[in-house]
Amino acid sequence: MPDQPTVDFGRPLVGEPVLHAAAVSMRFGGLTALKDVSFTLADREIIGLIGPNGAGKTTLFNCLTGLYTPTSGSVAMRGIPLPPDPARVTERGVARTFQNIRLFPSMTAEENVLVGRHVRMRQGALSSLLHGPAFRRSEAEAARRAGELLAFVGLTRSSGEPAGNLAYGDQRRLEIARALATDPEVLLLDEPTAGMNAQETAATRQLISAVRALGISVVVIEHDTKFIFGTCDRVVVLVRGEVLVEGTPERVRGDPRVVEAYLGAPPGGAGGGWHG
Amino acid sequence: MNATELVNSTALRVAGGLLTITGTYLPWATFVLNDGPYPAKATLEFFREPFGLAGYRAHLLAFGVAALVFALVAVPGQGRILRALGAGVVTVSVLNGLWITVDGGGLGAITVSDEDVAFGAPVALVGGVLILAASARGRASDVPAWQWRFPPWWERLLLLGVLVLLLVLVSAVLTSGGQGGAANVYAGAVFLSFLAAAGAGMGALHASGLSSWVAALSERHRGFGIGVLLLCALALPFTGAGTEYWMTVAANIGVYAAAAIGLNIVVGLAGLLDLGYIAFLGIGAFVAANLSGAAASRIGLDLPFPLVMVISAVVAGLFGAVVGSPTLRVRGDYLAIVTLAFGEIFVRSAQNDIGGLTGGSNAIPGIPPLSLFGHGFDEKLVIGGVRVAPGVLYYVLIVLIVAGAMLVFANLKNSRLGRAWIAIREDEDAARAMGVRTGSTKILAFLIGAMLAGMAGAFYAHKTATVSYESFRFIESVTLLAAVILGGMGTIPGAVLGASILFVLPEKLREFSDYRLLLFGIALILIMRFRPQGLVPDTHRRAERAPGREEPTVVLPAVLAKVGR
Repeated sequence: MPDQPTVDFGRPLVGEPVLHAAAVSMRFGGLTALKDVSFTLADREIIGLIGPNGAGKTTLFNCLTGLYTPTSGSVAMRGIPLPPDPARVTERGVARTFQNIRLFPSMTAEENVLVGRHVRMRQGALSSLLHGPAFRRSEAEAARRAGELLAFVGLTRSSGEPAGNLAYGDQRRLEIARALATDPEVLLLDEPTAGMNAQETAATRQLISAVRALGISVVVIEHDTKFIFGTCDRVVVLVRGEVLVEGTPERVRGDPRVVEAYLGAPPGGAGGGWHG
Repeated sequence: MNATELVNSTALRVAGGLLTITGTYLPWATFVLNDGPYPAKATLEFFREPFGLAGYRAHLLAFGVAALVFALVAVPGQGRILRALGAGVVTVSVLNGLWITVDGGGLGAITVSDEDVAFGAPVALVGGVLILAASARGRASDVPAWQWRFPPWWERLLLLGVLVLLLVLVSAVLTSGGQGGAANVYAGAVFLSFLAAAGAGMGALHASGLSSWVAALSERHRGFGIGVLLLCALALPFTGAGTEYWMTVAANIGVYAAAAIGLNIVVGLAGLLDLGYIAFLGIGAFVAANLSGAAASRIGLDLPFPLVMVISAVVAGLFGAVVGSPTLRVRGDYLAIVTLAFGEIFVRSAQNDIGGLTGGSNAIPGIPPLSLFGHGFDEKLVIGGVRVAPGVLYYVLIVLIVAGAMLVFANLKNSRLGRAWIAIREDEDAARAMGVRTGSTKILAFLIGAMLAGMAGAFYAHKTATVSYESFRFIESVTLLAAVILGGMGTIPGAVLGASILFVLPEKLREFSDYRLLLFGIALILIMRFRPQGLVPDTHRRAERAPGREEPTVVLPAVLAKVGR
């Protein structure tokens, strides 16, 4: 790889590399949103992606999932490059949630999860039309899976509710269940605790750890420092489209550049509210 | 609501009910209408005679008595029931009052004129307004959810009874006012009044929670309900609607209902606005016209109808896929313009007889009627001694086609594909992020929708015997789209109901032909304002339109405003 990260990881990778971004750059006209961003996500690892507002975190997610085609650089999943098409990226095992919740509001919670299951089902138009035995088996299997996932995120009771009617925190969790329904190897979470209170944040933290325990690697964009330093194995700090620091939470927390980038002031209050 | 208000509103409701009843018994017109009986009762007695209770006055009396009863007897959903009744009284008295005023040449017709007094209309109107005002006060009670259960066979019997009543109602609505036209200038007014009364009655039933209970009942006995519904639809020729004229009207409704179901896949499920959809009906019709042995056809093939129908559907479907292909790049309003252009291209090509397949302004006449075992569908039929009007077989066939379209729609909606369509409608980017191949999925929606229309078109060609480009203009696309939106996007009964209303109205309102589109437009605007989710809303969409949620832009009024004809 041309641009292997040069930062010293505080500890070895948890497992095999899964997702690798190599020198990803994204320019919109004259604006450079991402510049030579490289990082590797290992098996069963949780990476925290932090940075001030406008640092390019969501743009990076969009590049990783094929919503944007990077101007240069590449993204590979287990060594094979990902196509610039969100649907096929999802098929390859990368699922995501959105910063502004993007559920299908009029569909029920269960149906939302079933849409996530879409990519793992094989019933075409004719089969959908005829509702034959294979179709019914596949639907029953999908419904069972959706039930499991809703139970996993704690939304069993709301499975028949339209997603748009759910409480805010429930919507965020439903988005995670929907993403998990695609059987991902990598889950990208865009501010999963935004707008949550302390209690809900703690529950989400637990949920993300549980997701890892399922054998899924996670990249999470987050502002909550307690969350980042309590849950993540590694932290990548993105500032103005570039990777500023990468390493263990302890390392990143102590790095003066990080503190400066966030606060524009000498260390002292680190660990407290360096919220954007 | 505190105690005094409660008493006040009860008093108001009682007063409204009493006034309505009084208005019903008062004379309604100070003169005799010149053009014959209105509505189908003796003229002089009907308007002068205080007790001439028939037609709309019977409806008003029923509403007045019901309002009185529900004002005094507290039942769940009382407020909503009264509101529906009040709205019914207001609409019926306004419609008839207006009609008598216009026809009688001024307000004197419904008040005082030359010694004669006739205050029926104003009094009933005030009664209706009082009922409405009294029930609009305070919070509307919720629609009660009844949980009654009976032994299964009793429930089935009940369902059967309800569906038979529905059949009677459909037959009554279809034939009310009689055949429109010069011979019967009251047809439109009587029909509208009956429609308003039936609508208000349905509204009251819904408010009482009974219709939801019946819906739950039919859900419990789904197979049985569907079977009986199909039988009821097939039994329509044996009711008062079983004449050749009404069977033709019903068959035409069926054509548009089948097409509306197809359009509902594109617009209602996948959320792709199609303003040129009628072209697919046209393509199906022209394909059938060319393959069925019509002398005017240049191809001169004469294939059996089932094969023709399949070919029509396939050809229309292919065109659907072609029209749908821009959806890969074009979204929302821009797609609507693409489809609009396609519809226009089709009409112009057909008008100019490009390719010699459409007959141009001569149309393709002389398409032979369908026949089965040597029996023409347009001939009289005797089944076991019962004579059935000509055209009944067409009706039966279109009922089966519509039933097939319903099955296609229902099966697709509850499938992986249907969920993908709805997901695209809700949030296309999120759907892609969930692994939905949006491009092919959207084209599939266009393809399947167009196939249904093509199938209906093949039937249409044989039924009307002449296929002309004039039947597939932009206004028809708009009407079809209006039918889907009016009925309720994404639901089967919605599409069928919408198509029925929008294609019966022109048939019934012939004497208003100058104002037809105007009335039509006003009615649509009102419905969109007060019931944007449509008459039979999708359970999904009902939630979507819950207060506080942003409502999607409705393009229809804007489109209608541009339709000049």
